[in-house]
Amino acid sequence: MSGALIIARKEYQLALRSLGTYIIFVIFLLFTGFMFANTALKIRLAELRGSFELMHILLLFYIPAITMGSIAKERNSGTLELLSTLPIRLGSIVWGKFLAAMLLLLTVLLSTLVYLALIAIYGIGVDYGAVATGYLGLLCAGAAYIAIGLFASSLSGNQVLAFILALAISAVFYLLRYVGDFIPVRVFASVEYFSFDYHLRNFLKGVIDTRDLLFFAVITYIFALLAELRLQAQNLMQER
Amino acid sequence: MIEIKELSRSFGAIRAVDKISFRVETGEIVGFLGPNGAGKTTTLRMLVGYLQPGGGSIELDGQSIFQAPLAASARIGYLAEHNPLYDEMSVMEFLRYVGSLRKMKKGELHHRLDYVIDNCGLEPVLNQSIKTLSKGFRQRTGLAQAILHDPEVLILDEPTSGLDPNQILEIRELIRELGASKTVILSSHIMQEVQALCDRVIIINKGRIVVDDSIGNLDSYIQGYNSVVLEVEASEPDFSPLLASLTDVELDSVEQRGEVCKLRFLCPPERNISRELSAYAVAQGWPIVSVFTQKQSLEEIFHELTREEEESAEQAMLLAGLEEESGHADELEITAETHLRADIQEEEPIPEKEQKEEPEEDEEKIP
Repeated sequence: MSGALIIARKEYQLALRSLGTYIIFVIFLLFTGFMFANTALKIRLAELRGSFELMHILLLFYIPAITMGSIAKERNSGTLELLSTLPIRLGSIVWGKFLAAMLLLLTVLLSTLVYLALIAIYGIGVDYGAVATGYLGLLCAGAAYIAIGLFASSLSGNQVLAFILALAISAVFYLLRYVGDFIPVRVFASVEYFSFDYHLRNFLKGVIDTRDLLFFAVITYIFALLAELRLQAQNLMQER
Repeated sequence: MIEIKELSRSFGAIRAVDKISFRVETGEIVGFLGPNGAGKTTTLRMLVGYLQPGGGSIELDGQSIFQAPLAASARIGYLAEHNPLYDEMSVMEFLRYVGSLRKMKKGELHHRLDYVIDNCGLEPVLNQSIKTLSKGFRQRTGLAQAILHDPEVLILDEPTSGLDPNQILEIRELIRELGASKTVILSSHIMQEVQALCDRVIIINKGRIVVDDSIGNLDSYIQGYNSVVLEVEASEPDFSPLLASLTDVELDSVEQRGEVCKLRFLCPPERNISRELSAYAVAQGWPIVSVFTQKQSLEEIFHELTREEEESAEQAMLLAGLEEESGHADELEITAETHLRADIQEEEPIPEKEQKEEPEEDEEKIP
């Protein structure tokens, strides 16, 4: 098994043992449950696009919460020194943590399927194709947010700072779609391209476009690479 | 075999390690000593590849560790200064995790786990979470992790800190055993430990090597005195006739406790005067209670060496200051004053023995 997979397995196992994981988990499910109920019962529509868009907003908070400790905690407790002197690449550390966070995201997204099942049982028609691509889209956007979270966590040993920074960077990518009101339309066209919402929209419509997949993959890769570079730079700059 | 050449590292303006070079052979245990902030941990961190050196080279069997860092770290076992461990894991989980990250095969891992658990005495806490371990068991877990993959080079940053005396003996025994076939570098601030364990000692101070020699040769770095303590049953015995014939021996202190009088004599390290002293006491009819020689401890040597270094560095700085500023008359005075003050301060802590030399000289002159 490669280093990244071993780290991912250990991280995931430890996360499942921590109370904090479950608290964040429950909060996420409460909010999403409320949203699903709102669309299905009040609006009497199985159009789940609204729910997915709200889930996207929740990810902005959920992902920094699960990634904030990933590297910052290792740095703070000194275990990063142990990990960096083992015969594994620094990239394996970052990708191992990435995989563990992806697994957590997948776990939480899969458990929202309960709501979907309820909606299906209570007999309002659901466009399953769009729901499937919607989940895929959330996973892709989630991967990018996780990479951002890892990068923020790699910067210092402070978890709170990592959370705030991850939230701030993620929010920039999220809010880009709303800047249309302030800037010329011509400029907005290119700015909008970097908005996560812009790429998520196709997924929610039930369309998988390779350009969207590629966009999220590139963002994910860039931030994971930045995190890895940060770990390498620590060798040169460490002041302790 | 590990060899470092001209290794340097600065943090900002502070030169933590300044062009140090040494070489450690297989089967050698080297003690790395120095006061706090001397650059011990920085050097060890560079040796394990955690810190990038500012200059110089580190070679493991003739190959730079930065050429193939993964291969090099597979051959090195490292116990870091604060012994970082994953608190949420149990001891067994942690060791298995480290083993799998070191890509050990199942059978080999099983075999080595048995060995380290047995030798580090981890049996009673195997399934306990590391968070709940005592400091001694934490330290042993850290050591177990470092030797798990049977490394050729073992680098231990203060391996026995936090252990009780029995555990210290056990761990020392283990390190000694490992040292027979491996290259071991251990840092410590405990002199007895280095004295008990190491073949060789490297003392560093302010990033520079002050001493690099075998433990036995350390005495030669210091012109100290051995002291011989003689306890005899007599009230205020008079040794002056004997002392008159032994010009290089002096009486340091006399302490009368009831029947027994305790006398301390100072003599050069190469001389053994206990025979003369006891013969004289017997001839005078004073029963001898005890007689023993106290060698200067490594601690004293360490203290002297690191202090000397500081003094000479300070003096060099002051001299440099004097030369630089000789153009400015006003400033020159100030510097000269500080120089004087520094001299006064330095004279104060001079050990008693050196002060005792003066009366001896006087005695010599009188006859």
